[in-house]
Amino acid sequence: MTHPIIRFDHATFGFPGIVALEDITLTIPESEFVGVIGPNGSGKTTLCRAVLGLMAPLRGTLRVLDCACEELRCHHRALIGYLPQKGMIDRNFPVTVLEAVMMGRYGALGLFRRPTQKDRDIARQALTQVGMDHHRDSALGALSGGQQQRVFIARALAQQPRILLLDEPTTGLDLTAQHNVVELIQQLHRDLKLTILMITHDINMIRSRVDRLVLLKTKLFAAGPPQEVLKPDILSQVYGKELVITDKDFVIVEDYHHH
Amino acid sequence: MLELLAYDFMQRSLLAAALVGAVCSVIGVFVVLRGLAFAGAGTAHAAFAGVTLAYLIGLPPLSLAIVFGLATVWITGWVEEKGRMKLDVSIGILYTATMALAILFLGLMKTYNPEVYGYLFGSVLSVTTEELMTIGGLSVVVLGTILLLSKELYFIAFDQEMAAASGVPARQIFYLLLTLVALTVVIALKTVGAILVFAMILIPASTAYQLTHSLTQMTLYSMLIGVFCAVSGVLLSYAFDLPSGPSIVLLATSLFFLAVCCSPKRLHRIQRA
Repeated sequence: MTHPIIRFDHATFGFPGIVALEDITLTIPESEFVGVIGPNGSGKTTLCRAVLGLMAPLRGTLRVLDCACEELRCHHRALIGYLPQKGMIDRNFPVTVLEAVMMGRYGALGLFRRPTQKDRDIARQALTQVGMDHHRDSALGALSGGQQQRVFIARALAQQPRILLLDEPTTGLDLTAQHNVVELIQQLHRDLKLTILMITHDINMIRSRVDRLVLLKTKLFAAGPPQEVLKPDILSQVYGKELVITDKDFVIVEDYHHH
Repeated sequence: MLELLAYDFMQRSLLAAALVGAVCSVIGVFVVLRGLAFAGAGTAHAAFAGVTLAYLIGLPPLSLAIVFGLATVWITGWVEEKGRMKLDVSIGILYTATMALAILFLGLMKTYNPEVYGYLFGSVLSVTTEELMTIGGLSVVVLGTILLLSKELYFIAFDQEMAAASGVPARQIFYLLLTLVALTVVIALKTVGAILVFAMILIPASTAYQLTHSLTQMTLYSMLIGVFCAVSGVLLSYAFDLPSGPSIVLLATSLFFLAVCCSPKRLHRIQRA
C-alpha cells in the first residue's frame, strides 16, 4: 500500500447536539480515486469539511497530509483542491474565467504577494487541462453549468494540489455534461496521479471509474472496491429496501425495476 | 467655474470629496460582492452615535465614531460567523439601537449644536485642514490595505469557505474587511453625513457591477464613478446652492439608473432571450 494521505481513526464529527459522522476509521493512500456515497444527511459533506480542516473531531483523530486536521495551516490547505456543491457559488459574480482560476493560486502565494507570470501560466495550464483555455476572457456567469464546473475544477487544479475534494460535481448538470465532467475527473486522476475524494449520488456514473467506494450513513457502512460495496444487503441497510442491483449491475429504485 | 478653485475652502472640499469618493467606491466593491450592504448602513448610524457621545463628553468626534463603528461591524461579523441569527435581524437591532443612542445623546445636550448635525447630513464645504488631514491619513490606510490584500479580499467576496479551503486566512481577512468598512464610514461621515454615507459605498460599486464581468474592471469603474460623483456633486451644490451630501448621492443614483438601462450584461441577457 502506498503512503496514506488521509487517515481517519475512530473519528467523530458534529455540531453542538448533532453527530454528523460517527466513529469513522478509514485510510486513503496517495493517488487513490475514492467515491463517497450515501443518502442525504449521511455526513458526506461533513467528511469533506473535515478533510479540509474546517472541522475538528469531537472524538478520535483525522490526519491529512501527515498533520492533525485541526492543526492544518494555510500552506497545508493550499495542497487540497476543493470543488464545493454547485448551489454554494454565486454564478453571477462579476469575474472572468481566468480571474476565477487565478484564485486557486492565492493560498499558495500567501499574503501580500502579487501573482506573477508563472502563476498566470499555471492557471492557463489548468484551463488547458480542462479544455477551457479558449474561454479564459469570458464572463464566468455566461458559461453553461458544465463549463462552469470545468472552470472550478481548473481553479482547484491551479492550486497544484495533492488531494482533490469534489462535492457532488455533477449535480444540476444535464446527462452529457455529467458524463463529460466525470470523464474529465477520471482523466485527471490518471494523468496527474491525484488523490481524489468525490462525493456523489450518482452511483452508476462512478462505479466503474473509482478505485474504492465509501458508503456512509453517519457511520461508515462499507468501504472497498465497488463490486464489494454495491451489494443489495449492504445498500438496503443504508438506503432502505427500495434499491436493487439489476442484471447489468445498475443500481436502481425497486419500483422502476418491477415496472 | 475655475475661479472657484482659488478659494481655500473649495480646494479642501474638492480634495475631501475626491478622497471620500475614491475610498467609499473601492471598499464598496467588496461590500456589494460580499453582501454586506445592510451592515454598512448600520455602521454609519453607529458611528453617528459615537460622534454625538463625543460632543456630549468633550472628546474628538472621530475617535468615538471609530470605536462605535468598529464595535458594530465586529459584532455583526461575529453574529454572522456563529450563525446565531439571520444577519439582517442582528444588524436591524444594532442599527436601531445605535440610532436610539444617538437620539438619546442629542437629547442630553443642553444646547443645539449645528456641528453634530453636520455629521448627520454632511457638510463637505466646511471641512477644515485638520479634518482633511485625518481623511487623507485614513484614506491612505484603507486604500493601501486594499491594494496589499486585494486578491484575498476578492476571494472571500467570491466564496469565503472556498477561500478558507484553499489556504487563504479567510476569517481574518473577513474581519479586516469589516474594519475597513468602519474606517471608511468614519472617513466619509463629515463629507456626506451618516444618513447618506452608505449610498457612496453602495451606489458606485453597484453601478460598476452593471457595466463589467471583470473584478479588476469593476473596481476601476467604481472608483472613477465615485470620484466623479463626489467632485461633481460638490461643484453642483456650490453652483446651485444645494446641500452637498444629497447632490453627490442623487448624482450617483442617476448614474446608477443610467447604467441599469444601458448595462451590457442586461442587454446581452435580453438578446439571448
